[in-house]
Amino acid sequence: MYESVKELVRTAEETKKSLSELVILAECQDSGLSRSKVWKRMQLNLATMRAAIERGENGAGVRSQTGLTGGEAIKIKKYRQQRTPLAGDAMMAAVENAIATNEVNAAMGVVCATPTAGSSGTLPGALFMLEKRLGLNEEQMIRFLFTAGGLGLIIANHAGIAGATGGCQEEVGSASAMAAAAAVEAAGGTPEQSSQALAIALSNLLGLVCDPIAGLVEIPCVKRNAIGAGNSLIAADLALAGCISKIPADECIMALDRVGRSMPVALRETGIGGLAGTPTGQTIKARIFGKRI
Amino acid sequence: MSNKYKSVFDIIGPIMIGPSSSHTAGAVQIGRIANKLFGKIPPKVTVHYYGSFAQTHRGHGTDYAIAAGIMGFLPHDSRVPLAPQIARQQGIDLRFVEESGDSPIHHPNTAILVMTDGNKQIKVSGCSIGGGAVEIREINLEGVEILPAGPLPIVIFRDYSKKMANALAINDDLEQKAPFSRRQVLRAPNCDIYVYDIQNKMQPATVTYFEEKYPTAICL
Repeated sequence: MYESVKELVRTAEETKKSLSELVILAECQDSGLSRSKVWKRMQLNLATMRAAIERGENGAGVRSQTGLTGGEAIKIKKYRQQRTPLAGDAMMAAVENAIATNEVNAAMGVVCATPTAGSSGTLPGALFMLEKRLGLNEEQMIRFLFTAGGLGLIIANHAGIAGATGGCQEEVGSASAMAAAAAVEAAGGTPEQSSQALAIALSNLLGLVCDPIAGLVEIPCVKRNAIGAGNSLIAADLALAGCISKIPADECIMALDRVGRSMPVALRETGIGGLAGTPTGQTIKARIFGKRI
Repeated sequence: MSNKYKSVFDIIGPIMIGPSSSHTAGAVQIGRIANKLFGKIPPKVTVHYYGSFAQTHRGHGTDYAIAAGIMGFLPHDSRVPLAPQIARQQGIDLRFVEESGDSPIHHPNTAILVMTDGNKQIKVSGCSIGGGAVEIREINLEGVEILPAGPLPIVIFRDYSKKMANALAINDDLEQKAPFSRRQVLRAPNCDIYVYDIQNKMQPATVTYFEEKYPTAICL
C-alpha cells in the first residue's frame, strides 16, 4: 500500500489512474489475491452496508437492548417526507442512512466496520445518499469503498482508528475524511481534490473526544455519525469548489495522531469524561449497570 | 510509518455483530487466537481486562465476544451475543476480572487470557488496536515467555525433536510463501520454539498448507 496521501496522489497523477484503481492494484499485490476475489469481497461489504441501512429504516426501525437509542432514523425519514429539511433533503438523507446504520450497530445487528463499528454509519451515510443523487452504479460504489479504504489505511498506520487510543476524531473523524475523499472521486473530482477533501474533513473534527455514556456505543456515537456524514459532504463540496486546506493531508494525519496521544484517558473510550461524566450520563450508567460508579 | 494495518479490508470491514469493532470484533479475534493456541476449547479460562476494556467491557459486549472467540465463532456469527450461555452449557469455566493497574502490554484495550485444562496452562496477552485488528504481544506457551512484535500474522513452530533440520525446512518454506521480518528461537523444556513475525496477510490456503505440513505449527 501507499506510505502517504501525497505518494498516492502523485502516483495517480503520473499514471493517470484513479485512486480507487491504485488501491485495488495495491491490494491485489499485497494479498496475492486475484482482482475478482478482492472485488467480490468489497461487493459483500457494500451489500452488508445496504442491508444495515434498510434494517434501520424499515417499519419502526430498531432499538438497542438498553433502550437508549433506536427509532430515530424513522423519525428523520418521516420528517423528510413531511417537511423540507433546513439542511436540504440530500444532507438529511445522508444523516438518516448514518443514524440507521449506527442504530443497527447499537442493537447488536450486523454492520460493516468502516473503519470501526462505532463509526460504521458515517461512510455509508454519504455513499447511499450519493447513489441516488449522482446515480452511482454498483461499480462506482465499490470503487468508492476502495478509495476510502486505501486512504483509511494511511490514516490508520500513521495515527490510529480507535477511540481508546485517539478519541472519536480517529473513528468518526477518519471515517468522515475517507468518505469525503471518496465522494470527490465519485463526483468526478481529481485525486488532488480528494486529498484536499480528506484534509478539510479531518481538520474539522480534530479533537473530537470519545465519551460514550456507560461505555456503550450509543450516546453520543449514533448522532456523531450524522455529523461525520454531513461533514464529509461539506468537505467534498469545498474541495470540488476548489477550496484549499492550507495544511496538507499528511500533516493533518500527523496532527490527528498527536492530538490523540495528548488526549486524557478519561476522554478515550473509558466512559468517564465528557458526556459520560455528566450527571445525566452517570445516572444512566447507574440505571443500566447498577450502583457501581 | 507503522505497518499495523496491512489490508484495505482492515479498514472497510470486518462484517460483524455490533456494537464495537475494537471491543467486540477485536475481542472475538483475541478469543479465537486463544482457542488456536490451546488447540481446542479450553475448559477453564480467566480473562483479565485492563484500561478501556476493564471500564467498558459490559457495555461493549466484550465478555460475549471473548466467549465466542474461545469457542471458535467468527465476528459475524449470529451466536456471538449468546456465547456466554453457550459456553456455560458446554461446561466452560469462564471468569472475567477487571484489573485496575496499567496494561502489562501497554495498550488501553488489553485482555489477558489464562487457559488451563489441569495439565497445561497457556497465557495470551492481546490488545485490540481498532477497527477489529488485534495484536498479540505476549504468549506463555510450553513454560516459556514469547514476545512477538505484536501485529499478525505470527507463526509459531514447536520442534519437539529439538533438531535444527526440522526448523530449517519450515524456515525455507516460510521464506518462499510467507516472508517474515523477524525470527526468534526459544528453548522450552520439551521443545524448541520458533516464532516468526510474518510481513503480509496469509491467505487461508497458505495457513492450511503450513498447518497440514507442519502439525506443530500454529498460524495466528
